[in-house]
Amino acid sequence: MESNCSSLLSAVCEVLPNPKLLLPDDTSLEKLLDWFKDLINHNDGQYIKHYQPCLLEFLHTMTKSEAVDSTVFSFTLKLTGLLASKEDSFNWLQERGVLLHMFDPDSWHEIELWKNASVRGGWLQGLWNMLQYQQAVGFFCKTGLIKLLLSLQNDESFFLSSLTNQILVHVLNLVTLPVLSSSIESDAQTRPPVSTDCRSVTAEVMSHVTRSLSSEEQAAVASGLRLLAVTVEQCRDPVKGQLWEHALEPLEVLVNLHDDSLNLSVMAVLQAAAKSPFFTNPEYKVETLIDAMLYSKNTNESLQCAALILQVDSCPDHLKKKATDVVVRPLLCVTASSTIVQDGCDSLLANQLSQKASCVPLLTQSLSSIADFVFKNSLDDVPIRSITSSVIQLLKMCIGHQPSTFLRTAASHVIGCCKIQKYSLDVLQSLADSKESVDFLQEALTVLLLYLQCPDTHATVFKKTYQAVLKWLGVSSSSPTVLETISHDLYPLLKKLVCDGRWEVRDSTLEFIMQLTAAFKGNPEYNEAFRNSGMISVLLISLSDGESYVQASAVSALGEALTDTPLCASFQEEAVTHLLSILSKDAESFPRRAVMKVFTSWLKSPLSFTGLDNHLSSVLSLGSSDFDWEVKVQTLEIVDMLMDNSLSCSRSSQGRESMKQPLHRLMGLGLFDLLLKCLFDCDRPVSQKACALLIKLRSVLRETDSSEHSDDLTLDISSCSWGEEVLQRFHRKQQPEEWSSVKNGAPDSLKKIHLCEILELLELEDMQCILSLSSDHVINSPRSVMEDILSAAQQSELNVVDCY
Amino acid sequence: MKLYCLSGHPTLPCNVLKFKSTTIMLDCGLDTSSALYFLPLPLVHSPRLSKLPGWVSKDGTVNLEKRELLDLSTVDVILISNYHCMMALPYITEHTGFSGTVYATEPTFQIGRLLMEELVTFMERVPKAHGTSYIDAVDVWSWKRCYNMQEVNSALSKVQLVGYSQKVELFGAVQVTPLSSGYSLGSSNWIIQSHYEKVSYVSGSSLLTTHPQPMDQSSLKNSDVLILTGLTQIPTANPDGMLGEFCSNLAMTIRAGGNVLVPCYSSGVIYDLLECLYQFMDSANLGTTPFYFISPVANSSLEFSQIFAEWLCQNKQSKVYLPEPPFPHAELIQTNKLKHYPSIHGEFSSEFRQPCVVFTGHPSLRFGDVVHFMELWGKSSLNTIIFTEPDFSYLDALAPYQPLAMKCVYCPIDTRLNFHQVSKFLKEVQPLHVVCPEQYTQPPPSQSHRADLMLELQPPPMAYRRCSVLGLPFRRRYERIHLLPELAKSLVPSEIKPGVSVATVSAVLQSKDNKHVLQPVPKPVPVPPSKKRKRLMEEVPDLLSPKPLLSGAVPLEAFLASLHKSGITEVKVEETADGHILHLQAEDALIQLEEDATHIVCDNNEPLRTALRDLVLRFLQKL
Repeated sequence: MESNCSSLLSAVCEVLPNPKLLLPDDTSLEKLLDWFKDLINHNDGQYIKHYQPCLLEFLHTMTKSEAVDSTVFSFTLKLTGLLASKEDSFNWLQERGVLLHMFDPDSWHEIELWKNASVRGGWLQGLWNMLQYQQAVGFFCKTGLIKLLLSLQNDESFFLSSLTNQILVHVLNLVTLPVLSSSIESDAQTRPPVSTDCRSVTAEVMSHVTRSLSSEEQAAVASGLRLLAVTVEQCRDPVKGQLWEHALEPLEVLVNLHDDSLNLSVMAVLQAAAKSPFFTNPEYKVETLIDAMLYSKNTNESLQCAALILQVDSCPDHLKKKATDVVVRPLLCVTASSTIVQDGCDSLLANQLSQKASCVPLLTQSLSSIADFVFKNSLDDVPIRSITSSVIQLLKMCIGHQPSTFLRTAASHVIGCCKIQKYSLDVLQSLADSKESVDFLQEALTVLLLYLQCPDTHATVFKKTYQAVLKWLGVSSSSPTVLETISHDLYPLLKKLVCDGRWEVRDSTLEFIMQLTAAFKGNPEYNEAFRNSGMISVLLISLSDGESYVQASAVSALGEALTDTPLCASFQEEAVTHLLSILSKDAESFPRRAVMKVFTSWLKSPLSFTGLDNHLSSVLSLGSSDFDWEVKVQTLEIVDMLMDNSLSCSRSSQGRESMKQPLHRLMGLGLFDLLLKCLFDCDRPVSQKACALLIKLRSVLRETDSSEHSDDLTLDISSCSWGEEVLQRFHRKQQPEEWSSVKNGAPDSLKKIHLCEILELLELEDMQCILSLSSDHVINSPRSVMEDILSAAQQSELNVVDCY
Repeated sequence: MKLYCLSGHPTLPCNVLKFKSTTIMLDCGLDTSSALYFLPLPLVHSPRLSKLPGWVSKDGTVNLEKRELLDLSTVDVILISNYHCMMALPYITEHTGFSGTVYATEPTFQIGRLLMEELVTFMERVPKAHGTSYIDAVDVWSWKRCYNMQEVNSALSKVQLVGYSQKVELFGAVQVTPLSSGYSLGSSNWIIQSHYEKVSYVSGSSLLTTHPQPMDQSSLKNSDVLILTGLTQIPTANPDGMLGEFCSNLAMTIRAGGNVLVPCYSSGVIYDLLECLYQFMDSANLGTTPFYFISPVANSSLEFSQIFAEWLCQNKQSKVYLPEPPFPHAELIQTNKLKHYPSIHGEFSSEFRQPCVVFTGHPSLRFGDVVHFMELWGKSSLNTIIFTEPDFSYLDALAPYQPLAMKCVYCPIDTRLNFHQVSKFLKEVQPLHVVCPEQYTQPPPSQSHRADLMLELQPPPMAYRRCSVLGLPFRRRYERIHLLPELAKSLVPSEIKPGVSVATVSAVLQSKDNKHVLQPVPKPVPVPPSKKRKRLMEEVPDLLSPKPLLSGAVPLEAFLASLHKSGITEVKVEETADGHILHLQAEDALIQLEEDATHIVCDNNEPLRTALRDLVLRFLQKL
């Protein structure tokens, strides 16, 4: 195969320089590069030795050909870099002038190519590929490529400019590598000294950053800021500090300019600086800059800045305190009564909250940051109590239940605003974890129930409300008041909501019932309340919902409700019948998948499900003949569990003698037939799982005494879909003449084969190996990729012939 | 221009607009909330109801008789905006000496007739002895006996049908046009306009996508006055949410084996409820539950809704061409899921099957078949009554049935404009002035903190209450006058600035039927020589030579030059705020040149004045 590959490669290298070659896109070339990269990175010397001459020759040809396709040229640039990442090829390429030709656009035959973004991308990628070791860096510094690289830093394509930033960071890190200087000194005799060039590269970058930040053009400033952020974050210390010193002055100007469009970029720089050790150095003025942003007149800007500070873990507490104040202010202000106007809410903020356009973004930004830091629990002195009561008030305001706050107009903006409701519910949910939550339990549950009652609550808000209810019920799950709230207030609401017209609401309600049952698992009072509430019959009715997602959720909720709750047998029997009918009749796959999951969880449950035991064989046969592969895999899960339960249990407790009975039981359930059928299934995950289970089974059988393998374990292959396949494998091992007779009709003796024999015949390990390969392994092989390229080349030639 | 406000009920308006020489009544809604003061009228004698003691109601307001504010016989036309707003029509047309015309669209007319018929049937089929047992109330003297079918027919005979955007001339003075308002079948807003003034009457409009044709907003633009009535009565209840509530409560009751009673009007929201249930039934497993619609006019209402295709929304209109019935209740009837009966007697009692959903009237629970179902189902907690009509307080409606075991759900569905929609709408159509009931200018009393539930406009709207008489805040400034061709021919326009020409005209103005015409002055009849006649002739004003009108400005420099040329050399020019004063020192005269006047002051020197005047006139144009 490999020799084929090398002849294919040389053919490919011949066709690629042809400018008339029409490739549909660069996918095959990219795949080819991936292959080379793989070979080079794994340092597979033999292969490289094999292919390298041909590739180097190709590059050499490319330097000479005058007309080339941009896609191929871009590929060539990347390939050049890739090959130059190894020293021997680097030298070869440099000696023949390939490197200089490729990386200096002025020497290209078609200078127009540089205007093509994919070519510029190829140049950058190639450069990055090459810059892996000292000699390459030396080449880069000496040839002055830095100027070209810096010009791409402000490229019109965002991808290219961001790639350039990454390369610049890489270059700066390489040229300032501490080992670098020593290696230069030691190798001074053999290598040209690069330190001067390196220094000039660093200086170039610094002056570029300063120039960009002081530029009149906003695009240049933004790209300069992006570079600064990346370098501050990723570069090493001496160069990082120098860069900051250079950038500080124009940066201060930018911060005080408070330009909305540059805000995010400035923030990114400050965030990077705040995370770095700069922060503690007063000369670097990071805190001053952050302060300027934090107390800006633009409330939105200061909020963004505060949110950013709170994300930095290493920030000192006093700054975090300031940021928290800024973040919390809009929330406290909008819910404030007139008495605390002076200290909580300045007139600027009040004015912004009174305007609809700014009110909603301010509050959402404030709430999302609060949710974030409450969740992280990052500060000790956060006013959790006032935040909790404000959020509860805000939630009431949003559904028109809160009487006047001092900002009446702001109140009218938030009524019915889904966005604020969702963010507030997030915060409320996070607050359930706080120490103070117990004091607010009743109030929080009341407002959450109001949301569940409100007919205008949006479906997505319902979901958030449920999450919050679940969290808050967990605050004191054993308290009698909580249980009373559940049975008196929550259950009646849930019964109504499972009848809602919107399927999303019905779905979230059923999901919630499931989560609630799971959360209160093992709580006898809750179980009692649940049994008496009539919720089980509600769930049983929901199994017939018209929407498949809802049906699936009803199945899961019912499954969860019956898993650990001891209920009367009639309920179990009814549930199993319902679920089996879904499995056999339902057209949608979601409910069927859910049914199989429920059966699995019931079988795992320590409580016995007598109702299910009688139906096991129908479950297995329905599950294995389903159209949906997930259902089939789930069926195999059940098979796995049954095998584990029967076989391992018997092996450990009663010794070898007892294997006979469990094997017969499994045989009776049709389990072996099922496994073999699944082994030849058209869906790979199904066959893979079946294969693994069969290997497991084989090892069990090998361990057991062969005398136990009675005739009862013989399978009739003539009636099975997999019989043909097994028969073929059987005869491949026999004499050819016998094989021909079989073709004309199997003799009776061959209709029945013992399970052990089948398992030995199947070469399961080989099958497992093939199945583990992804389904596209054939079309992604280098061979197939190169064949594609060659056939495209042939196609192009034919096209040329046709065009007259 | 005046507006007389005869009703204080914001959704059942009755206003009279005096505009130019016409008197136009805008709607005549009938407020039947006083029915709540009565005991329910059962079809069969109910010992429980008949034993109920009378109780004292809350204080009612003392109402003024409508007639005292205005003589209703002077009303020229009545414009009806929707079928709920015409229920008082027989009281106006039959008892006030009204002799004008009523304008309404066809669906409004037909469905209005059905509702009146239903009301009369409900009233007349009950034995009278029970009909009079009402309890104490304050303003009983203003209540009236319900009208009869004869009065209904006579009132409806005065209706003239109109289509959307049809222009109707009223006495040549104003033009009225109905526009789709999107609220119910055939519901309309009205434009009342003359050549230079436009008054819009917006009543009961909706921007939601329900069954009627969508609201025509653009034609309401640029009104001088917009009279705004009929906004939603329950601004806090969003119709979609309420519809959801309705469905989920209904499904919950049916699943638990109970019956659902929906007291409703026989037209309007019921169509949307049925359509919504049609879609909801399958997902909620209500497949076999029967729906019953019981009303004397149930059949006609369901059938009428299907034939007014042109008055429906686009989606429903296009179904007609398939051809399919526009409303899905046709399919519900076909598949026997929805059955309709004129009353509970007869067929219904033999086919009735429980659990079921019953739609029946009247929403006040005081009369109609709903009374029977309340008696029948009220005792079981499995059953539910769902109120969807917002016109009556549900607690008051339920009062005589207490104690009640059945569940009560209030989900009022009012699709009319809410305050958020109305403020957007007003921003869009930009009327100069808005007139509205005073209830809309403050938050509802029960929710005084909701600043969003009121109209906040600049300039603030003019609020009215019952019995208000408002002078509408604009003055009529122009009137269109026709010029006869022969007169036009005699005019000599002269251009005073590019594009503007002016001519003086002497003519006789003739006004007839609100049309004004300028005619040439009749030539004087040759006068026989008689002393008496001569005197008469002298009294006729001199029409032949009106003084020419002057225009233009006197340029100072040129004027000085021309003075100089005429030998006046000693001129002292003084600049003033309005122009210049020229002091002719030698002649001891003053010439004041101002923007719109020129004065020549000289003592008794008539030749000088004339000479100066002629000099000034040289620079001015004469018309």
